[in-house]
Amino acid sequence: MTKPAKTGHPARTSARSPLKIALVEDQPKMRENWSQLINSFPDLSCTCICKTGEEALRMIPEVQPDAVLMDIFLPRMSGIECTARLKELLPQVRIIILTAMNDEELVFMALEAGADGYLLKRTKPADLRAALLDVSSGGAPMTSEIARRVIESFRLKAKTRDESLHLSVREEQILVLLSKGYANKTIADRLEISVDTVCHHLKHVFEKLHVRSRTEAVVRYMASKTPGAG
Amino acid sequence: MLVSDSKAVRPECPTPFFGIVRSGALVVWLAFGLMAARSQPAPAGETAPHLAINTNVDDPGEPLKDSLTERGSHNFSDMGSWIWDTNTFDRQTVRFWKSFEIPRAATITRARLRITADNEYTLYLDGRELGRDAEWRHLYEYDITSLLKPGKHVLAAEVYNSSREAGFMFGMRLGLADGQVVEVKSDSNWLIVPEGVSGWKNMVEPAGSWRKATVEAAFGSGPWGAMETVNLVPPLQPVITPFWQTGWFVVVLLLVCGIVSLLGLILLTKVLLHNNEQQSLLRERARIARDIHDDLGTRVTQLVLQSEVAQSELPAGSKTRGQLERISEEAREALHAMDEILWAINPRRDTLHEFATFVCGHAQTFLKATSIQCVLDVEPAMSTTAFDLPFRRSLLMAVKEALNNAAKHSEATELLLQIHRRGSGLIVAVQDNGKGFDPAQAKAERNGLHNMHERLNEVGGTCLLTSQPGKGCRIEFYIPFTQMRRRPWWLNWRPGRPAQSQPVQDATRN
Repeated sequence: MTKPAKTGHPARTSARSPLKIALVEDQPKMRENWSQLINSFPDLSCTCICKTGEEALRMIPEVQPDAVLMDIFLPRMSGIECTARLKELLPQVRIIILTAMNDEELVFMALEAGADGYLLKRTKPADLRAALLDVSSGGAPMTSEIARRVIESFRLKAKTRDESLHLSVREEQILVLLSKGYANKTIADRLEISVDTVCHHLKHVFEKLHVRSRTEAVVRYMASKTPGAG
Repeated sequence: MLVSDSKAVRPECPTPFFGIVRSGALVVWLAFGLMAARSQPAPAGETAPHLAINTNVDDPGEPLKDSLTERGSHNFSDMGSWIWDTNTFDRQTVRFWKSFEIPRAATITRARLRITADNEYTLYLDGRELGRDAEWRHLYEYDITSLLKPGKHVLAAEVYNSSREAGFMFGMRLGLADGQVVEVKSDSNWLIVPEGVSGWKNMVEPAGSWRKATVEAAFGSGPWGAMETVNLVPPLQPVITPFWQTGWFVVVLLLVCGIVSLLGLILLTKVLLHNNEQQSLLRERARIARDIHDDLGTRVTQLVLQSEVAQSELPAGSKTRGQLERISEEAREALHAMDEILWAINPRRDTLHEFATFVCGHAQTFLKATSIQCVLDVEPAMSTTAFDLPFRRSLLMAVKEALNNAAKHSEATELLLQIHRRGSGLIVAVQDNGKGFDPAQAKAERNGLHNMHERLNEVGGTCLLTSQPGKGCRIEFYIPFTQMRRRPWWLNWRPGRPAQSQPVQDATRN
């Protein structure tokens, strides 16, 4: 099971306004359960519930939530495509992809499209909360498998990209250690840097990944959508 | 000495390769090329134009002497008459046909024939062209001793008359070892082959409709007068057919070609059918995976969520809440098991890469609950090399067993999971820094070592355990890639029987 790595930020105090969470989920029962679960935490508030990707693109920019929980399988527009489009509209929005079953391939596609993390729907509520808090405070959760895929992806496409989108030496070092299964803390110790620096580097990696794939993906989506109304 | 303007058959090189440009199918070409080569005139001994010499042929029964004799001293008693078709006209071609038989078991000591025509002849023996010439004042003498064997033979002559008088004259004398003499002369027993009959030059039996030749004049009379000059054609040699030009060889070759093409077709069809089967099995696996994913997965997830929501509505520490928590835990376990089934049956997962991903994920999740830090060492370029279900399942089971052992017995703080290619195989190693043990004293059954060996043996792999008390433990699983290559299906194939007796899921993946 995969969940965003904890970056050790303090729990939000109830004095601050709760995090605004948007939910994109097509199944009515799931929607209900999710919103109930989110609202059961005092520091989280489910402020926007969308049934489809199209609805999400319409409603989420108005609500400006702190984080979006996005189901990966949606009718018509998939959660991955919706993520890519939403990131265009709202580059600062944090998106977590939800999947019922573990499918690293799909998850990686979602991450490439701009998602900031992913969760299995069976995740324990406490872990869900931790992930939402982590991601909205700028955490860049990455598992060893995702790290490996990121390295591969950068290596595969390295030659066709401009320099600014390549991984730096430090970034690659961190990713390699991550892919070996080490935790952020261990990596920080090994490289003699702080955990925050590790997170910072990972955020950069994600940004590069997003920019790279988004330009590519957007061109692809545009090409496929221009003849129609989309 | 006279030198004639000879047109004796020149040896031609058989050129079966001329067809290569035109023909697409090499094999068929080869066979037909050889056949074509067979029908080419074969080398006829000497290539020089034959000499016109007056020879001493007093005794045709004796071997031909090369010495020259006076003109007119030839013995022409064995010559036939001038013969022709019933009608004579200019620019006429007449085709003469005659068969003769040499007694069986006879040995031919000498065979000589003389021929001439007004104006031009081409002579064939058993379909083979012996020579051609166009000087009616000369006789042309052929030594065909080595061409004849006992049995039936066919003489054929195509004679062309350019204008006015026309005639064809022929005389053959065969000396046999027992003193017998066979003579064939041009006479009214020769048959005229009508136009449009193909293959007449070596036709053994004449058609009833062929009319007889007409005798125009006896030898030495008529408009042609006496003949004195005899031109010797160099002795002809039998056509030595190389074995690849012989009929049976070509037939065998064609047969082999036919069989090979037929087999190829059959195999191709089988392979297509087999592929089709494979494809439909893959589709079916994909469909089951999708069903589990979309339906079962979603429902059980829903169950987890529902019970979580129910828990959140109950006060902490209540009995029902604890029960609900157990329900959701159980459901999560079920989902985890489903993940594994999905991974196993999804055809998209039949790669090394996917295997590595899954094993690593499993190890990390499994060890998270323990105090062991999991370190991965996976070759980055695992790529999409095929890694079929039976292999990845056996290997996964073995790795799980190893992880289990480490978690239960090793007291290790770190576990290294390595997945690498080695040579032409895949190596998966599980190494811990725990207390280790003496392999010689470990009870195989209890430690699951036996199981691991079994699982690897099933798929042709090996399992190597190294451990020392206090120095941790390393278990290496190795599967050679050659084992993964499927046995050629036709080795497994038996009519009406499934190829393998494995569980349905695996049967055609093997």
